[in-house]
This record gives sequence, structure tokens and C-alpha cells, in this order.
Amino acid sequence: MKTKARVKKDFTMSFFAILLGMLAGSVLMAVTGNNPLEGFIYLFRGGLMNIERIGNTLATATPLIFAGLSVAFAFKTGLFNIGGAGQMLIGGLCATAIGLTFDLPKPLLLTMIVFGSLVGGALWASLPGLLKARFNVHEVVSTIMMNWIAYWTVYYIVPQYFKGPFLETESQRIPESASLKVPWLTELFNGSYINLGIFLAIIFVVISALILERTTLGYELKAVGYNRDAAEAAGINVNRNIVLSMAIAGALAGLGGATFYVGFASNMQIGVLPAQGFDGIAVALLGANSPWGVFGAAVFFGLLHTGKGFMNAMTAIPPEIADTIIATIIYFAATSVLIERNWDRIRKINFGSLVPGKGKNTLEAESGGDE
Amino acid sequence: MKSWLGLFLVLALIFAVIGCGADEPVVDENGVPDEENGEPVDEVAEVRVGMVTDAGTIDDKSFNQGTWEGIQLAARDFDLETRYLQPGGTTEADYITEIGNLVDAEFLLIVCPGFKFETAIYDVQTRYPHAKFVLIDGYPHAGDWEPVINDNVVSIFFTEHESGFLAGLATALQLGEGEVGFIGGMEIPPVQKFSWGFQQGVAYANENYGTSVAMQAENFIYEGSFDNVAAGQQLAAAMYDKGVDAIFAAAGGVGIGAINEAKARAAAGEEVWIVGVDVDQYDEGIYEGNKSIILTSAMKYIDVAAYDMIEAELNGVFPGGQILMFDAANYGIGIPQENPNLDAEVESIVQEAFEAMQAGTLQVAEEQGDLIR
Repeated sequence: MKTKARVKKDFTMSFFAILLGMLAGSVLMAVTGNNPLEGFIYLFRGGLMNIERIGNTLATATPLIFAGLSVAFAFKTGLFNIGGAGQMLIGGLCATAIGLTFDLPKPLLLTMIVFGSLVGGALWASLPGLLKARFNVHEVVSTIMMNWIAYWTVYYIVPQYFKGPFLETESQRIPESASLKVPWLTELFNGSYINLGIFLAIIFVVISALILERTTLGYELKAVGYNRDAAEAAGINVNRNIVLSMAIAGALAGLGGATFYVGFASNMQIGVLPAQGFDGIAVALLGANSPWGVFGAAVFFGLLHTGKGFMNAMTAIPPEIADTIIATIIYFAATSVLIERNWDRIRKINFGSLVPGKGKNTLEAESGGDE
Repeated sequence: MKSWLGLFLVLALIFAVIGCGADEPVVDENGVPDEENGEPVDEVAEVRVGMVTDAGTIDDKSFNQGTWEGIQLAARDFDLETRYLQPGGTTEADYITEIGNLVDAEFLLIVCPGFKFETAIYDVQTRYPHAKFVLIDGYPHAGDWEPVINDNVVSIFFTEHESGFLAGLATALQLGEGEVGFIGGMEIPPVQKFSWGFQQGVAYANENYGTSVAMQAENFIYEGSFDNVAAGQQLAAAMYDKGVDAIFAAAGGVGIGAINEAKARAAAGEEVWIVGVDVDQYDEGIYEGNKSIILTSAMKYIDVAAYDMIEAELNGVFPGGQILMFDAANYGIGIPQENPNLDAEVESIVQEAFEAMQAGTLQVAEEQGDLIR
């Protein structure tokens, strides 16, 4: 289905959305009396200036890749997974629990952590999937509620079973053998907190792309997403696919939780829903719901988040404005869908009148209904 | 238009790549700004002071704000350049990133308020040996609570239990009889010590000054966060409904919720009180004219601590490698100088207790013992 032209169009949309976001950010910088060019230079230098910062950008992007993949995967089946944050928490809780409980050689322990967080996230997310399939409970509502259940579950379990000697509000520090951080990688990136999670992320981007594009399962999932009734009429078990899609989405988010709590961070704090779970929605939108698009979008967001502090430190832009600028860029980036909807109309204004026949292509047909 | 935008992005990327290839800080070893890009760079002052905020914002009316005000005061007095950064999260990695940003921008005296910085400071004290760090409410360790304090770090602690004691004493004396409650943020040592000290202060008044102020375990609650304003309001409402007269709110933003509830009730004619925390919160509790529901505040002079450390660094006597205790003896804690809601008699008794603390004749326990949590 996904033709080259389509991919190119998605890329153009995302690129345009980013430019629009940066333009809005520039306006904000200019209005607050700062030089936008200078601001953006420091923003990008902050994320890319040296090998350590590149490592940090990738480390920041890692959980975002998983969260974005999770949202994108569910979206392919027509499901809107807002529960990324909760699934990350549960994945992270499983990872932390395994890391703090077992004293095993690092390769074995990490395998268990990856597997545990994957299963934990999958089970957690399959619940709203089941509710949707059996009782038609809308997944937006149930996944949001599941976020809070996860939040309070962590709130109870971490202080009860995994707390350190003094603090009630966070788990013990995970041992070195349970951390996704490895010395050779840290040294390679000059002291950065990059970790094995980035390789996991790339592996799962490839796996997601393969499942969606090359397998019967992927075909069925997408068929359900395109048209539930038609899929059912064609003999596809819609309910099974809804549960499965949520489970896979949850597994991806759960893995993201592992990379966040035992990779990026080194313990689990209670009372925080990871923002990455929600940023994942914007990542998926900007990445046009394609696995590699998600990868690119997540790295871009990682760059923004990492570079922000350096921009703050080097210019007089206060942190609150910097946060607003980043949020503005993300907001506009997420509106690539809107741009897409109006893209053909924009083009029609320019060229439509000159070449009457040109508008009658498939893209036109797709967006025609929105006007 | 589009091509212009494209050009802009490409330019930005090129600059980024240039910086990336060079692999060097923007400002070189001697502190001379890099003029490569021809941008105006501020003149480098002798000491540039940076701060990384803890969870919460810079205007949190308590911890971050207190620290920043101290830094601002020093900046005015000594003509310094200052900057604060707000991390994207509260993990060690987030903190290290922002500290690194400040160091790269040549802000080489960095103040970090909050115990959450402990492991981050442990990391950066060796990573950036040319920078100096002030850590408030914590000491650097590798995650095992074994203190490792290099010469470029000073750790600052406060005797919250003493501060809480004075506030508890003042509250009990002013109420005479009634009931008090406590709303804490997270159940962490600095907040717990406030609670334990407060209880001892109330008990001290009951024993020695004939007051009868009750404390019940169900009214000593930790909300679990420092930012849930709505929950603070609900908890306060529930306590006031149960007959509590004054609530000690040591809870950041949660405390603001409690203050809001008290203000609403006071405006409706009810007599309810809040005991503030960290800074003098009197102005925060004003509901009508200059009447405030803040009875008094259990203060930690965070601003003084930050100011003192900056001054020490300027004078070349930075107390690196030490753990400093700010207590009654060195005027590091106390209740505000002016308490419009306290009688002069109450203030003088509190002052006596404060002096007894300084002399060491009045001891306040910093452990829970058999106190309510």
C-alpha cells in the first residue's frame, strides 16, 4: 500500500510541520526580545555539539521511540493508545523489580528485564484491549484510567517492597548488573548516559516495520484499522486483533519503560507519570505512524529536549519560555495531520486552476471528505 | 517563502554540525568567550552563579524560590551574572544534563536545592572539577548513602525539627486550646523532621504553659507530592471540618492548596489558621486587606545559605568538602521577625525557647521516637 510517493509526501508534511513549529518558536523568541537565530543555534549545538551530547540526545530519544512506536502501532489498528505512560510505568516496575530481586550475570539479567517489561506492558495494555473487544469500552477512556491505576500501583509497590534505607519516595538504586548502561558505551560517548536501550529501540523499529508490512498479522491489524466491518466481513477476527494490537502496543511501551527506568534513570521515583508516554503521541503523529518515521521524530524531540538547557544557559531566554518554545514546536509538529488535510487544497490554489486534471489523483480522494 | 525557511533550517544545522565537529566548549579554558559566530557574548564576570531547580517551578513560594532569592540578592550586592535552569524531569540524568549545560556556559558556581541532587552531584563533582557546587538538604553519594564530598562541593543541612518546634510552640500558645493538624508533601526526612519538631513544640507548650492543644494521628498526613494543589485543598477542608484549628502545611504546592482553603473559609468568617513553611508565607495567606491566615511560618533561611556560600566563594573561602548545619545557633532557622497574628507575649516565649536552643539547654529530637509520623 505504502508507495514511494506516499512516503515522500509524509516526509514533506513532517518537514513542513517542523518548519512551521520552528517559525512559531522564532516568533516567541523574537517577542521576548531574543535573537531566534542565536537561540536555534544554541538549541542545536546543545544537542549535537560533541559526542557526549549526541549520546545524550539518543538516550533522551530512546524511551520516546518506544512510546511513539506504541502509539503508532495501535493507531494502525484504529486504536488510540493514550496509556503509554501507564504502560511505561508497569514495564519499568517489572524491570526494576527483576533488577532488584535477582542477582544474576548481566546478560542473563538484562534478558529477563527486557522480557519481563515486555510481558508486563503487554498484559497491562491488553486489559483495555479486552474491554474494547468484549464490551466496546472506548480505549481512550480506559487507557487514561489505566494510567492512574499504574501510577498508584507503583506508588504502593515501590515504597512497600523496593525502597532504599532512607527515602520513601523512590526505589533503591538498581545494581550495575541490572542497568542498561554499559561502560564501553558510556566511554565511547565520552561520559554520556546513552545505554543499550537505543539498540533495543532500533531492533524494535525494524521488528514493528516487519510485522506491519510483511506479515499476515500486520495485514489483518491494518485491515481492522482501515475498516472494521469490511475486515470482519472478510473473515478477520476483529476482536482478537484489537486485543493483540493493544498488547503489542503495551509491550512496546513497557520496553520503553525499561529503557527509561533502568537505562536513562537508575531508580524508580513514585508520584510521576513519565511525560514520554504522552510525548509518544506527538512523536507518532510527526512520524506519520510509520516505524522509521517514529524513529526520526523521536530523535528530533530528543534533540530539542537535550538542547533546550544549553540554549537556556547561553542566552537570556528563561526556562519557562524555552519550555513554551519546545512545546510550540512539538505542537506544530503534531499538526502535520492538519497540514496534510489541507495540503491538496493549498496545492490546488497554486496549480489547480492551471492544470484542471491534476487534482484528480488518489491523494485528492483521500482528503476530499474532510472539507 | 518556503525556500527561505528551508535555508534557515539548513543554516542552523550547519552551525550545529560545525560545533559538533570541533568538540570543544563554547567558552575556552581561560573563560574567553568564543566569538566564532560573531554573536554578542556577555562579558564574563568573576564568578557566574547558576542554579538548577528541583521538582517544581522557580516561583514555588518555597524551596526553589528561597534559593533563587538568595542568589539574586548576592547578584545585586556583588554585581554577578546569574542563571537558573529547569530540568525536564527529576532523574539523575536530567540533573546532570542541566548542570553540564551551566558548566559549559561557564557558570561555575552552581547551587542545587534538594536531596534529589545527591547522586547527580556525586557524579559531577569529579566530572567538572573546575566547577563548585552548593548542595542544599543533601550530601553527595553514589546511591549507597556513603558521603563522598570533594573539595569543590559544600553540603548544607537545616535543623527542620528546631524550626518546626518553634512554630509548634507558637501555634499552641496562640491557640491556647484547640486542635492542630499537619499536611506534608512527600514523606522525606526534611518534611518528617518538620512534623516531629512541630509535635514536640506543641507538647512543650502543653506541658510548660498550660495550653491544651490536641494532636490526632489521623490529622498528620503526607499527601505524597509537592505539586497537587487540589489535593492540598481537599485535605485541609477535611481537617477543618473535623474541627482542626491550625494546619502546619510543609508541602510546597500542596500547602498552597491548604492555604487557599483556609483563605476561603476565613473570608466566610471562620477562624482557621495555616502554619507556613520554608519561607515567610504571610503574604501568601492574605485574604482581606492585610489580614492573613498564616499564623506564623517554620522557616529555613535557604536564601541566607545560598547568599553566604556565594559570598564565601567571592572571598576565596569556599568551605569545600564540608557539611554545614544551619540551625538555631547560627540563625539558620526560626520563625519570621514579624508575626502580625501572634501576640507579643507569645513571640517573647518563642524567643526564649530560641535562645535556649542556641544555648543548648533546649534539645529537640530529630528522630520519630514515639511521635506521630
